Amino acid sequence: MKRISTLLLMGIFIGTLLSLTGQAIGASSIAVTVDTPPRTMHPNGSNADANLSVMSNFFDGLLQRKGSEGKIVPALAERYEHPDLLTWKFYLRKGVKFHNGNPFTAKDVKFSFERLSNPEVSEFINTGKSIASIDIIDDYTVVIKTKQPIPWFANNLHQVYMMDKESTEARDEAEVGVKPIGTGAYKFVEWVKGSYLRMVANKDYWEGAPSIDNVELRAITEPSTRFAALVSGQSDLVSGIPVELYEKVVKNPKLEVVARPARRAIFMALGNEPGSPTADIRVRKAMYMAINEDEIIEKIMRGHAAPAAQIPDPPTIGYNPDISRLPYNPERAKELLREAGYENGFDITLAGPNDRYVQDEKIAEAVVKYLAKVGIRAKLDVKPKSIFFPEVSEGRHKFYLFGWFDGTYDMGRSYFKLIHTQDKEKGLGEWNAVFSDPSIDALLESTGSIVDQGKRRKVLQDLNKMAMVDKIAWIPLHYQQDIYAIQKGKGIKFQPRPDRWIVLKEISK
Amino acid sequence: MVTYITRRLMQGIVVLLAVSFICFIIFRYAGDPVHTLAGRYATFQEQEMVRKAFGLDKPFYIQYTRFLANAAQGNFGKSFVTRVPAFNLILERLPASIELATSAIIISFIVGVGLGVLVSLQPYAMRNRLVMAGSLFGISIPTFLIGILLIMVFCVYLGILPPFGRGETRMIGFWRTGFLTWSGITHLILPAFTLGMYQLAVLLRLTRAGMREVLTKEYIKTAWSKGLPPRKVIFKHALRNVLIPVITMTGLQFGELIAFALVTETIFQWPGTGNLLLTSIYESDQPVIVTYIMLAALIILSLNIIVDILYAYLNPKIRYD
Repeated sequence: MKRISTLLLMGIFIGTLLSLTGQAIGASSIAVTVDTPPRTMHPNGSNADANLSVMSNFFDGLLQRKGSEGKIVPALAERYEHPDLLTWKFYLRKGVKFHNGNPFTAKDVKFSFERLSNPEVSEFINTGKSIASIDIIDDYTVVIKTKQPIPWFANNLHQVYMMDKESTEARDEAEVGVKPIGTGAYKFVEWVKGSYLRMVANKDYWEGAPSIDNVELRAITEPSTRFAALVSGQSDLVSGIPVELYEKVVKNPKLEVVARPARRAIFMALGNEPGSPTADIRVRKAMYMAINEDEIIEKIMRGHAAPAAQIPDPPTIGYNPDISRLPYNPERAKELLREAGYENGFDITLAGPNDRYVQDEKIAEAVVKYLAKVGIRAKLDVKPKSIFFPEVSEGRHKFYLFGWFDGTYDMGRSYFKLIHTQDKEKGLGEWNAVFSDPSIDALLESTGSIVDQGKRRKVLQDLNKMAMVDKIAWIPLHYQQDIYAIQKGKGIKFQPRPDRWIVLKEISK
Repeated sequence: MVTYITRRLMQGIVVLLAVSFICFIIFRYAGDPVHTLAGRYATFQEQEMVRKAFGLDKPFYIQYTRFLANAAQGNFGKSFVTRVPAFNLILERLPASIELATSAIIISFIVGVGLGVLVSLQPYAMRNRLVMAGSLFGISIPTFLIGILLIMVFCVYLGILPPFGRGETRMIGFWRTGFLTWSGITHLILPAFTLGMYQLAVLLRLTRAGMREVLTKEYIKTAWSKGLPPRKVIFKHALRNVLIPVITMTGLQFGELIAFALVTETIFQWPGTGNLLLTSIYESDQPVIVTYIMLAALIILSLNIIVDILYAYLNPKIRYD
């Protein structure tokens, strides 16, 4: 026993000595805390924004989205042409080097796009499979042909990261998945899963070296711990401040809060199976008007949301400023129900996730209560997202809470997934097993070949109005708000992006 | 003894098989991983392609027997989410969990047994009654509340201890340790205390009860009347006899502290296996969950067997035949 305690004491003593020699954090470093951990270092191994956000620091796409506007601008491709509906021609930037020193050329582009179809390393199977051919014209010119016209093809290219063909092929996949080599503004240093990810500035970055040298990124999933990390000064920049702790952060003199409207809209999908009460447009309208969205925003979201009248957000092509919310009017809702022959109400089940969106379960509970006030007996069925989402695409729910935003800033792709009549063969309507309207389908299909941005905007806006106003395809609720906090007095300049990514080269100190 | 151990090992294997089987059945209801794997824009055909690529299209019994066959060779499959072998993922996290559990058990053993002995000497003194009342809190307050309260006090208000993570760590071979740096040790204090709190209270009560019983025994009175120094009477004659159930308890709990420190690890964002398990459940990463549960079962089973064997050594009256 005595021996053990001596050993222990010695251990502690040596440990203290060792820690004194540990490196001090220099002036140009930042500790960032996010709410969702990165899953993999395969650049295209996850299409979750939490992962793409981290990868955007190690890798570049052919194009990129910049700053608070999210405008798409050139990155590894200096420019591109779209000579016909199926063809995309990219002129690559010269003189770009991967972190291992290899030059970036057309063969890397071909390799990276071909990799997208491999489910072992990619979640961009949909993008990979939509490509018919990739031709290398010369070292710095690539032509990609898609199988079908995809008007939003280029809009998505900030998410498809370019990998080094040579080193990726030479290394074991397990190693590629933990040690990324890209062209990005930051080089990978160390990833201790569940703890931190360290990176260091790439001094030879083609856009110029980033302002901050050393970055330590941590993910803390537990909101109260994230809050403690912020208040105790361990973190310089924290994303995902929970709405219930917002007031506390604002009151803290050491902290600065940055909030911006999020792109994600929260809404309720509602089936229109012939014969069901919700097939009647009057019932759909009544349900819409029965919900007091202002109260949801005030009481449940604590003011951190903006009412939505449609699914796309303002910067998205297809957003229609002329659409406004139906007013909250339970009396009118009751009248409408009476007209439709449901003066005694009806039974319905409201499903939803309980671990996906801000206050998701509470919102669903509130909706159930609002519906009860007009006589609709709604049963609540909330469950974890890993169970809920598959059930949605199988069509097990007829009425459910959902959230969506499209990384391409083009409503077209989203509408094909969300509202087109489900067609397993053609791969349409994966997230819509319950709503079907031939006129929406027809108009939507006609947009598939419109590439001209002006025309596209017009048609998508019309389509949007048709879905939201004429058909009440969904009951929109609100856009969430993204809330960040930074330590004051450290000179950190940070502008949140619409997609919630933390792109470190855009942060300066 | 040998037959006993063989029998226990055989039982262990049956238990492991049962555990794996139950895991597999549960997964049928735990969400479809294909949706995560294929990405949210994937079409149904693409989802089917992914299902095939990961062998999830096969019927239940084929998936299960394939898993068993691979597991027997030490291959537990690749994580769906990180796309690296599930076993490596867990192994990488294990040192963090073991260090946390070891610290928790050491703290609770030293403090628990120490206080237990002290309290038993003067059971009716006011301060000792307070300690006993306090131990009830340790047993009844849930871990997550203790953790959050400790964070509130020591990190947010006092700002003297870090609220999350492991701090600076050093690699010794494959083992990533936090014991060797000051930052590592400060990061360990709160989670270890939180994790060990329940254990501490139980050991305290156990020791006190045992001591009070033993102190009334004839041989203790003899020892006192022989004029032995109090230290010898208390520690050598009394405590030794009390320690048997205490050590059993400690040993049995140790496995559970390693395997199920889930709540503590989540609150303190401790990069251990419990944290990994929780994330994997959220993402329906089945290979990691199955491997983890199998491994946890294995650890607890082996510790049970070791405790049983130690028992025989500590108490010569016990014989296994």
